[in-house]
This record gives sequence, structure tokens and C-alpha cells, in this order.
Amino acid sequence: MPAFAVADRQTGRSDLMAVQVDRRLAPRAWALQALTEPVEGILSPLAHGQAPDQAGNGAYYIVAPAPPGPALDARPRTWSESELLDHVLRPAARTLDRLASLALTHRAIRPNNVFQAAPGQPVVLGMAWAAPPALHQPAIFEPPYVAMCLPAARGDGSIADDVYALGVLLVTLALGRSPLAGLDDEAVVRRKLDQGCFTALVGTGRLPAVIADIARGMLADDPEHRPHPALLAEPSAARARRVAARPSRRAPRPLHFAGRQAWNARALAHALASAPDAGLQALRSGVVDDWLRRHLGDVGLATRIDEVMRPRSGDAPQETQFGEAFQAMTAVALIDPLAPLCWRGLALWPDGVGPALAAADVPATERLTEIVTTEAIGSWASLHADRCDATTLRSEARQNRAWFGLRGPAGGIERLLYALNPLLPCASPLLGRSWVARLLELLPALERTAATADPATTRPIDRHVIAFVAARSERRLDLEIAALARTGENAAEAELRLFAALQVRLHPAPLPALAKWLTTRSDELLAGWHSRARRESATARLKELAEAGQLAPIVKLLQDAAERIADQREAQAATAELARLDTELAALANDVPERAILARRWGQELAAGIGLLGVVAALLAAALGLD
Amino acid sequence: MSQGVRERESSLIWVQGLACGALVAVATPLALMLAVLLAPTAAAAMFDRQPGQPSVRAVLLCGISACVHPLRRLWEGEHTIAASLGILGEPHVIALAWTAAAGGWILAELAPLGLSLALEAASRARAVRLRARRERLLEEWPGLKGGG
Repeated sequence: MPAFAVADRQTGRSDLMAVQVDRRLAPRAWALQALTEPVEGILSPLAHGQAPDQAGNGAYYIVAPAPPGPALDARPRTWSESELLDHVLRPAARTLDRLASLALTHRAIRPNNVFQAAPGQPVVLGMAWAAPPALHQPAIFEPPYVAMCLPAARGDGSIADDVYALGVLLVTLALGRSPLAGLDDEAVVRRKLDQGCFTALVGTGRLPAVIADIARGMLADDPEHRPHPALLAEPSAARARRVAARPSRRAPRPLHFAGRQAWNARALAHALASAPDAGLQALRSGVVDDWLRRHLGDVGLATRIDEVMRPRSGDAPQETQFGEAFQAMTAVALIDPLAPLCWRGLALWPDGVGPALAAADVPATERLTEIVTTEAIGSWASLHADRCDATTLRSEARQNRAWFGLRGPAGGIERLLYALNPLLPCASPLLGRSWVARLLELLPALERTAATADPATTRPIDRHVIAFVAARSERRLDLEIAALARTGENAAEAELRLFAALQVRLHPAPLPALAKWLTTRSDELLAGWHSRARRESATARLKELAEAGQLAPIVKLLQDAAERIADQREAQAATAELARLDTELAALANDVPERAILARRWGQELAAGIGLLGVVAALLAAALGLD
Repeated sequence: MSQGVRERESSLIWVQGLACGALVAVATPLALMLAVLLAPTAAAAMFDRQPGQPSVRAVLLCGISACVHPLRRLWEGEHTIAASLGILGEPHVIALAWTAAAGGWILAELAPLGLSLALEAASRARAVRLRARRERLLEEWPGLKGGG
């Protein structure tokens, strides 16, 4: 990760560094929040926030003390037992103990992230907060059940995972070289599962007896068997601690499928997780069942697997659609209870879903979405009730599914992204080069965008912005967001109401460019107004208010109840008059034959009347003796 | 046409026939004069097939108005067939009576036509006023959806 030397302008302190955060890999929000005081023996975060990068783009940095010296891998050598105990194990264990008391983990203990100011000085653990937990950890330094996961989906884990990494560091320093060098991550995981971690890492290498005893416990396959950091701070006590861990039973003959060999149940589970299609075929064909019964001799496990693979008539449609994935996930969980959640070739720890979604490519996103929609984490947790808080995980799985299933732009994958990654910046293209990770940063960024955006072709809101606001506002803007999702709602007015609420609560400064952008479609905003005169008057007022940059008065203008009622009443009267006019016009158009008949009748009567007048005139003339 | 109406019309024709016969028998000169002067009415009656025979009415009334003066002369003079023929022999008497009858016929034909034109013009003027009002209404209320 890019890091820069920085200085504190207020105190003048210059032994600081700023680590730049990757846009798709959010920093560890909980750790940054919890580490309010520096912890001895670690590069604790001192501050974090956004600042422009060298290209002027928005970026996010975490400021911490600069490393006191070179990293341990800068000068590879074999460390003595006393050096390892006094300068590595004890100080690191005390630091991990302090982290454990804060319910934190480090998850980045490796030779290039552990520093020593000078020979004879205690080591200092490096920065571990600028990326998801264990993201940059090589497979060697992580337990196999963590190393097999997507790098971003390794989760916070437990302090036992840090103890494991510290154990690998001890072995590396004691050997003077990196163990399992030259093997790829997959091979490292397989080697550890086949032989056990300590044997796989140390092999034929020679370790000081004390270090070997302590490292054996620290590298235990089961996290619960590893010593607590507080115990490691007293190496003699840690060495005396013996855990009766039963080694994984090894079959006399391996199980072959998909080009893999499995000698024990753990290797079988890993093979099933890595090659799910072939694994499912092996499970269905009875090959696995036969191997478990005849060669591994675990009839109980074979019976449980058989029950899982037997189709059930009462399966819900959703379960049927992903039934095979559920079967494979359950089989892996039964065969190796230490394994992470394995879903169609993808492995993850439940708290790694959020970072994994942010970093995932399209196929991985599809599978992660399946995990969310099927609440697979809840089902997995039920199978591991003795090793995790199953109730909490089930509840979180339901919540994630509810967020994903929300109708409209406030739901979907975007909502999950921002809900599960509290410091992930909004990925909306509208925000351009800005880094918007907190809600109060949204409106200033949109104001900058508004200055250059074309209002006719773009709107100041999209799915990312809505999901971001919904996730960060914590239900305080639910009404405004729900209005955006409703079909038939005036979209422009709903957008305006949302931004107005944001401005009132978070950013009272004027936003003239954004206001102008939002009111560009005044026709749509005034769609509920019927009178042209009222519309023209309101449009002019909208322009005035937009120039002032305050959105709430614009909303007030649009929602003026008295004006709206008067407009509605007059519109109804106009509608009635229009109907009357149309009726009259239709009658005029249709009455032509009737008018012709009337004209003929009246014309004939008129002719008769004139004739009668003639008779009367003639009779009068005759009576009066006129010739 | 109902049976009762037909019977009444048939009776009326019989009454008219009897009246005409009586007139011919009692006042032959008068009947002769009327027969000649009102001959166009008989012709119109043959061609007018409209209900109520409106053209016949107009021709008859106009013809009667032209008959009043000759009938008065006959009544005041000798009431003989010769006197009747003498009056009828004056060219302007028959010409005036038949011209009046023709005028009646023309009036009966043209009056409906004129009235029709007048009514049509009035209707069009009203339609123009209504459309203008409608346009103004739609301009003031753009959202209204008129049927026309």
C-alpha cells in the first residue's frame, strides 16, 4: 500500500507516515474507532481522513507513527533463542494481549510488517488498519482455514489467529529463512492440512527447544488450542502448557478425486470445498461414504453425511434451487468443523462478507449474493453453534438478506456494500474523483459535481448514492428514501426532499449549483400543479430559491397545501367546463340531420304563413273595395 | 296508418266530393272560375307526396289570394257562366292567379332551404365560440385532457 512521510503541523512531529487506502478495500472501521489511545508495541493509528492524492483525486489516509527501524525481512538471519523470547515473543505477546482486551485483532503479523529500531530492541508490529483484516497476509502466516478464504473475506478472526502468525514469525526467524518457500498458496494450505501446521512449517528444520515447544502450541490447528497472548508473555508458562490435541486420523489409502488426494478428513473437506462439482459427484456416488467407512473408519461421520445427501421432500423452493450448494457446504462443515463457510468454490468467514463484496469480481459477487439471499451464513452458524455466536450470525444473515431484498434503489448489492463496510467510499460515478465515505461529505461533493454536470442528461442521484445514504443515515431518512422507491412518485421531488433533509441535518451551507441541478426539471417538479399561471409563478420562484442554495424552502414551496388545494379545486372546475364544452361541440356536430328537418318544417310553415297573409290581404282589399 | 285514420280520411274525401258537387250544382259559374284559377293547385296536389302536402298548401293559399278579386267581380256582376268565362277570358286574371300559385310553390321550396342555411350558419358561429373558449381553457390548464 502506498505510504508517505508526513508531519504534524500543530505539534511539529515529523516521525509519522500516512498510508493511502485502496478505494475498493475499506479500512477497518471498528479498529480505528477502538484505538483511541496508542498501544505500545504497535503502529497505532493517530488520525484518519481524506485528502487529495498527488493527482488531485480524493483519497483516504491513515496516519500512524513511522516504523522505528527496518522490517525484520530487511536483513534475513537466524535469530537466537534469547532474542526471539526477549525481543519478539514477549513484546509482541504483550501488544496482542492489549489488543485482545480491546476486542481487536492485528491480522498483519509477517516479517515485512514487524519492525525493530535497532538490534536488542523490542519489535514493533506494523500498520494493520488500512485494509480488510489479513488481506495482505501470505498463506504461510495464516492458519489454513483462513488462507483458503478470499483475501478480503478472512474476517477479523480472533486473537488466536494473531498468535498463529506470531508463531510462524518465530519459526521464520529461528530458521533464518521463510518456510515453505516456493510453494503457492494452495500448496501451502494442502501441506498444512495434510501434515499439520507445525510439521509442515518446520519440516526437518532445527529449532531451539524452547521455541519449538512454544511454536508447537501457537501453531495448533484448532484456534482454541493455541495459548493466549497473556500466557505467551511468560514463555516458561507457555512452554509448560500442554494441550491434548488429537491429531487428524490418517487413512491407510487416500481418496482420489478431481486430481487431488485426501489422506484425512481435513484434506477431504478442503478438496470438497475447492472442487465443489467433483466433490458433490463423489458425495452422491457414495465414494466419499465408502472411504469414510472403510478407510478412515469414521462410521458416525459417514452416517451424518449420508443424511445430508439424502433428498428431502419438504425442501423449500429456494433451498432446492441452491440445494446442491447447501449440501456441499453442510458436508464440508460436518467433515471439518474448523473449516470456514465454503460455498460453490468460495471460502469465507462470516464477518468477511462485506469486504469481500467490495473487492469481489463479478463471479464472486454472484456467489456472495447467493450466500446472502439464502442466509447460508445462518445455516453454517447452526452447524458451528459451539464455535460461534450462532444467534447473532443468524440475525445478521437475516438482516443482510432484508437489506439485499429491499425494493427499489435503497436495496440490492449496493445497500449491502455500504451497510457492511462503514468506511467504504461511495462508488457513484456522479462523485467523480471525490472520496465520500461519510454522509456529511456527500453534499459538498455533489455541489462540486453540479458545477460541471449537464443537468439535461444526468441526475444528481443514482443507485449508489441512494444506497449510500440509506446505509449511512441509519433509518433517519427512511421516509425520504422510501419515496424514491415508490413507483408513480414524483421522482424529482423525492430527490429534492432527500437532499433537503440531508442539507438541514448535515450541511446547512448554501448549495446553489446542486439546487439548480435539482430544479432543472421544474416541469417534473411542478407536475402536480395544474394551472399554467401558477406553474409559471412557481417556476420563477424556484429559480430564485435555487440561486439562494437552500433546498428546504424549495420543498416548502412545492408542498404549499393551500395553493395546492386551490389549484386542485380550480382544476376540477375547469375539467367540468371542458366536459360541457366538448358535449356541446359534439351535439353541434351530430345535430345536422335534425337541423335540416327543422329547417324544412319551419320553411314549409313559413311558406304557408306567407300564403295566408296574401289571402288576408286580398280579402281586406276586397272588403275595403280596393281594386 | 291505422284503420281508424284511413276511415276518417276516406270520409273527409267523401265530404269534400259532396261539397264540390254541391258547389258545381248550386254555383256553376263560381265553380268554373275556381276550377280554372286553382288548376295549379290540383297539379301541385298530384306531385306533392310529402306528408301534409306543404307545397299544395302554399300554392293553394297563394292561388286563393289571387282569386279573391275575380270572384268579387263575378259576385257583383251577372252570376252566369258567360260572365265567368268573360272574366276568365281576360289574360291577366289567369296569369295573375297562376303566377301567384307558382310563387307559392317557389316559396314552399325555397323557405326550407333558406332556413337551413341560416341555422347552419348560426351553429357554426356557436361552434367557433365554443372552440375558442376550449382553447383558452386548455392553455390555462395544460394538464386537462379534452375529448375534442
